[in-house]
Amino acid sequence: MTSIEINEVTNVSSKAEMTAGASGFANTVGDAATPLLELKEICKRYGQIDVLTNVSFTVNKAEVIGLLGDNGAGKSTLVKTISGVVQPDQGELVWDGKPVQFNSREVSANYGVETIFQDSALVDSMSIARNIFMGREIRNRFGFMDLRQMREIAAEVLKTIVAIEGIDSPDKLVGSLSGGQKQAVAIARAVHFKRSLLVLDEPTSALAVRATEALFDYLRHLRDQGLSSILVTHDLYDAYRICDRFVVMSRGRTILKAAKSETSIEELTEKVSRG
Amino acid sequence: MVTEAPATREVADYKEISASGRRYRLQQSAIDIAILFVGLQILSVIFALVDPSRFAYLNSANITVALQNIPLLGIPALGVGILMIAGEFDLSVGANYIFSSIVVGQLSANGMNQWLAVLVGLIAGTVIGLLNGVITLKLKIPSFITTLGTLGIWNAATLFYHGASSQTYTPTGILNSLLNGNFGPVPAPAIWMLVLAVGCYALLQRHRIGNHVFASGGGPAAANATGVNVVRTKMLAFGITGFMAAVGGILAAASVGNIAPASADSLALNAIAACVVGGLLLTGGKGTVLGIVIGAFLLYWIQDVLLLLGAPGFYLSAFVGALIIAASVFYRVISTRRV
Ligand SMILES: Nc1ncnc2c1ncn2[C@@H]1O[C@H](COP(=O)(O)OP(=O)(O)OP(=O)(O)O)[C@@H](O)[C@H]1O
Ligand SMILES: [Mg+2]
Repeated sequence: MTSIEINEVTNVSSKAEMTAGASGFANTVGDAATPLLELKEICKRYGQIDVLTNVSFTVNKAEVIGLLGDNGAGKSTLVKTISGVVQPDQGELVWDGKPVQFNSREVSANYGVETIFQDSALVDSMSIARNIFMGREIRNRFGFMDLRQMREIAAEVLKTIVAIEGIDSPDKLVGSLSGGQKQAVAIARAVHFKRSLLVLDEPTSALAVRATEALFDYLRHLRDQGLSSILVTHDLYDAYRICDRFVVMSRGRTILKAAKSETSIEELTEKVSRG
Repeated sequence: MVTEAPATREVADYKEISASGRRYRLQQSAIDIAILFVGLQILSVIFALVDPSRFAYLNSANITVALQNIPLLGIPALGVGILMIAGEFDLSVGANYIFSSIVVGQLSANGMNQWLAVLVGLIAGTVIGLLNGVITLKLKIPSFITTLGTLGIWNAATLFYHGASSQTYTPTGILNSLLNGNFGPVPAPAIWMLVLAVGCYALLQRHRIGNHVFASGGGPAAANATGVNVVRTKMLAFGITGFMAAVGGILAAASVGNIAPASADSLALNAIAACVVGGLLLTGGKGTVLGIVIGAFLLYWIQDVLLLLGAPGFYLSAFVGALIIAASVFYRVISTRRV
């Protein structure tokens, strides 16, 4: 059985900020009224298919957005766009009032975007610790890794922040973990490096109830601290409990944007299933 | 919420974690093949001590020849191995090895400063490697195909630039000592292999670039999604492979005294074989520098043993073939035993 308990441990997150590189964008971005992230008329085509068509919405500071929609609606593509892994054909991203171009994952990470991808983005043939720090290794000025510190932090995050069962060592290969344990490693990585915006693409699809609850508690806790999250999920009850606002997508377009007070779980169900 | 556990249990947990961590780290090292290798060496030495007249394994000439020859496969195999871990192949290392060393030989023979000629040869080898990378990564085709193509192209380039005859190569002075001398009882190529292997170990297993190499080979999409520049990492691996091929070619040219254009036709496959014996996966993402080095040693060792025992020549390729298959089976068995 898999169980995750997520909690804030201050010394670990301060290490995260140290290792995440650029420091100018920490949790305290601009003034509270300016939206953290605005998407303006984002379009993306793959061959003949319009995967995203004029997608616009706003992520304010200290809020949890539910990004909903049927299979193939374009949610993951949008998540990748926000993370700099996929570049839009048209449209604009505005970060804290300034237009930005997320040309690569590195750039979005420097702005403080942290993503749990739907497929976890882990390498099976590498250890847990090396996966957590992949691309953002703790290193000296010659580029040599501090493997010991990476192991210690990974063990600490997994043991304290993401207390998941069955992971006895950060040296274990990710390929030998269960689906839920893998998801926990992906969560641990995001939690460790998170700074401004946490994007979660179906993070609980392999998690047991207790672990899911712990993750949601953690998202609420981040919101209280002023961080924002975008949660992609197919569980509308979960979404309705935790999210402040909803964006429903259908065939690459947004068909509903509403605050929790303006909508109901019935309407969300109707929109997601009828398109 | 963090549950407050009694302090003593925490300590016990932590010790357990670090102990099992050692176990996992050991499993991911080249420990299996290293033990096998040491075992085979002990057996060989015992046999040589018992019957030195039939099995001259410890004969100083045998050891010197081994230390001269292993690097000529081992150094290119280091490059091929790093590239394999990055998820790509280079079948053109043999063609590169010959072309780069013939460039050095011919430029030196034509009166160029011999140091400069070596530098030109090393740059040529590196550029050939990088070119494989550019073709593979820009045109998005499998490197197996790219380098099958460039293998033919660089073999033809050697014939075009030089012809089918051998090119003599006789470096002089300090350069000759560095390429072809002895440091105490140890031939220079063995020292170079040691230096390059330590360098590769530092890069691959200790440096962040190495972490990116493993990530690029083990899961390019995941690597890309976490901010690893997969294209740049693979380009570097292609460049290193080309460089190592040139180093191997130049050392071979210096120790033999000439370069025969067809003499490295099987180098690429032997280098891949050494890597497989050393525990690398053809699919990338896994391997160690120690494994590659031991793989090159074992490929030589099995031929050496057969030669010393007076086995007919055709046995050599059969046993090398059997070794490659046996090594693959060995890794499969140990990887399914432990999960
Ligand atoms: N790399 C790609 N090349 C071509 N088509 C793609 C690519 N990635 C996604 N698509 C297409 O874009 C559409 C949207 O895919 P996306 O993964 O964004 O959907 P989703 O909303 O996340 O679905 P799910 O809920 O099933 O995860 C699908 O029709 C998919 O086939
Ligand atoms: Mg999706």
